[in-house]
Amino acid sequence: MKSKQEILEIFGQVISGPMNRYVSEWKKSGKKVVGYYCSYIPEELFTSIGVLPYRIRGAGSKDSSVADAYLSARLCTFVRHSLALALSGELNFLDGVVSMNSCDHIRRGFDLWKHKVKPGFSYFISVPRVQDDRVLFWFEEEMEGLKKAVEDHFGKKVTPEGLKSAITLHNRARILLKEVLDLRKSDSPPLSGTEALTAAVASQLIPEPDLIPLLEDFLAGLKKSGGGKPARARLVVAGGELDEPQFIRNIEEQGGLVVADDACFAVRSFWDLVPENGDPWKSILRRYLFHVPCARMVGALDDRTAFLTSLVKDFRADGIIFQRMKFCDIWAGESHNILWRMKKAGIPILVLDREYQVPASGQVQTRVQAFLESMGK
Amino acid sequence: MAILGKERFEDLEAIHEGITGMLDIYKEDPASRGLNAYFKAFTKLVENLCRPFDDKQPVVWYNLGMSPELILALEGVHNIPLEAYPALQDIVGEVNFTLDYIDRAEAHGLPHEVCSVDKAGVGAVLKGIMPKPSCILGVNTPCDSQMAALQASAELSGAPLYLIDIPYLYGEREVEYVARQIRDAIPFLEKHTGRKFSWERFREICLRANGMSENLLAWNEYRKAVPCPQISKLICLMVPLFITFAGTETGVVTAAELAAEARERSERGEAAVPGGEKIRAVWYQDPVWFDLQFYDWMESELKMVIPMDLFGYHAPEGMIDVSSRESMLRGLAHRFIRVMPMSRQFKGPIEWYLNDYVTLCREYKADCGIFAGHVACKHAWGGLGLLKEKCREIGIPLLVFEFDMFDPRVTSAESIQDQITQFVNNVVLPRIELKK
Ligand code: SF4
Ligand code: SF4
Repeated sequence: MKSKQEILEIFGQVISGPMNRYVSEWKKSGKKVVGYYCSYIPEELFTSIGVLPYRIRGAGSKDSSVADAYLSARLCTFVRHSLALALSGELNFLDGVVSMNSCDHIRRGFDLWKHKVKPGFSYFISVPRVQDDRVLFWFEEEMEGLKKAVEDHFGKKVTPEGLKSAITLHNRARILLKEVLDLRKSDSPPLSGTEALTAAVASQLIPEPDLIPLLEDFLAGLKKSGGGKPARARLVVAGGELDEPQFIRNIEEQGGLVVADDACFAVRSFWDLVPENGDPWKSILRRYLFHVPCARMVGALDDRTAFLTSLVKDFRADGIIFQRMKFCDIWAGESHNILWRMKKAGIPILVLDREYQVPASGQVQTRVQAFLESMGK
Repeated sequence: MAILGKERFEDLEAIHEGITGMLDIYKEDPASRGLNAYFKAFTKLVENLCRPFDDKQPVVWYNLGMSPELILALEGVHNIPLEAYPALQDIVGEVNFTLDYIDRAEAHGLPHEVCSVDKAGVGAVLKGIMPKPSCILGVNTPCDSQMAALQASAELSGAPLYLIDIPYLYGEREVEYVARQIRDAIPFLEKHTGRKFSWERFREICLRANGMSENLLAWNEYRKAVPCPQISKLICLMVPLFITFAGTETGVVTAAELAAEARERSERGEAAVPGGEKIRAVWYQDPVWFDLQFYDWMESELKMVIPMDLFGYHAPEGMIDVSSRESMLRGLAHRFIRVMPMSRQFKGPIEWYLNDYVTLCREYKADCGIFAGHVACKHAWGGLGLLKEKCREIGIPLLVFEFDMFDPRVTSAESIQDQITQFVNNVVLPRIELKK
């Protein structure tokens, strides 16, 4: 059994750049990897046919200029860095890419994947911008198209049995991550927000058969270890794209403890399980369209507000840090709306813009300091 | 200054004064037929913004990704585009009001990088000058910034919002999907406005929408003539016209006037550029709405004309088959996916973006292209690298500059003039000379 520290080191290495030891092993054994953007792409589809779903990020990109030459400097830096990796060949280990209309930036990024990076397999899904039964049929049709394309390209049939075991595997990982999350409810949690996000991000980059034992050991280690030192304030970090634990560290170095993270790559990625009874494909699709909604889902503000406030309550947070990637419009509207909803609810909130690969900004530190002080902490 | 017999918000009075002033100057001018048609249409839009305060009839807000045919089919319902105030202020009113709307929205927490039209729309809502809506109908085009504004407006007004999801691609399946959602929107509109949707009325509206489109298509054709018969700035005003008046008599008449002026001038061999045009440019992306005189300067100083831009180009897919209820809904779906400017070029795959540009350059015999990079328009900027490659491939030089179509504080008209002048003198004219 590996210790908490050993596992955190492994997770830290896994998320530090595009390639990691597990993906490398996977590839060496002749198996395929498909990169995908966004939490609306069903991982179980790929797992069911022995293809590894790998969530694309920009970690390891030092400079986005090769992508900026196409995308300009007015796009979100997460997309620019991920495309910089792709254009410079650092994602060549991917056997395919699946993208979707998450936002205007990811859409334009896909144009480059298709026309410049040219992976062996590429597919684009049009996911509805509403979370509503009236559009479920469309989502199902789009996913049918993806399923067929994946079957044709990889020469493997997606079967109900394969999907069922993929559901079990992914659910197991989600349950473990939720148990880790639960530990953060305690007065002195056994892990920091930085560590929790490291684990959550790594979970989207490691094959489930390797991941599950790691998470089991991690959880067992956490249960045995004592709590951390008392924090100045308990915080929920909310918002859009967030796969850089250094950003959380930056907050925690000011004395705040991040007890929950309502963000992409974080809680939202593992919160909802796929029901294990019923038609597996239909259950997967329903789970993906109706999971905790991202801000791209228009009309779901009440649900997002309810989810965020429940995290604040359940994790006994003193306030919220709402982070948004600069240039991101999806989370721009949301930051405005959530700001006022939280103000009305009397929950302290700080809205922060940030850029990918610029985690340790002095400005963030200063603003977090001021925020903690404003809460009397 | 009273509008419809009453004192109004100073914002509206500024717009009204602007239009009245323009009409006083140009209404007797036979050379300003198209411009006058616009001014008259904008007068109607000002009245539309006043009437709900007087008659207390239900109001539906909607965003600029859609035209209003469906809303108009509910009798006695006012259709108010969210962007009405900033568009009117910049074009015919007082730009400082737009800047005030933008500043209000930013001060209220809407991030700086959201499109200025959307920030200004939200600012107008915050200022309380928009007639209160019974509900909001939206489409998720052209961009994410629009969705930010739509949701913020719904939040601020408390009005229920119905979103028609516009998918990524365009084909029969996509059209059916959108048509089905448009049909589903009808009970939503009926419920919240308390008004009945009339299919007969809808049919008449679709016929008028077709009438407007026929005129716009003809107008687009006449503007292909060399020399371009009609001034540049007329094309960039088409977007607010289409968004507000598609399906109305005002829309038909205004489009007919534009087409008639272009045809007559073309038949008489008249050129938009005084003394004859030297350069034809396709203007891609957003216009300089905060200073329309900029276009006059371009024509008189540089002898450059814009025969067509992204806002004025009317796509042929917009004709509605009125033979059945289903065909009308499908017709509207075609419009939402593939006709509305910006949505048409930027919402789908990069080919849509590049193909229209190449088509415009070819059909309007462009010597050069101008990418007027509206700072907030991420999906336009995000395709720029591939656009530049395409320009090299077709051998047409492209100027790229950064500005904000509503906000002169980002880049002044003078600075844009400098950049265009240098481009014309250093790149375009020498190339034209070489070709001779
Ligand atoms: S942070 Fe915003 S702009 Fe960037 S990828 Fe996510 S949704 Fe798109
Ligand atoms: S200019 Fe661009 S960002 Fe602004 S509304 Fe149009 S498509 Fe959206």
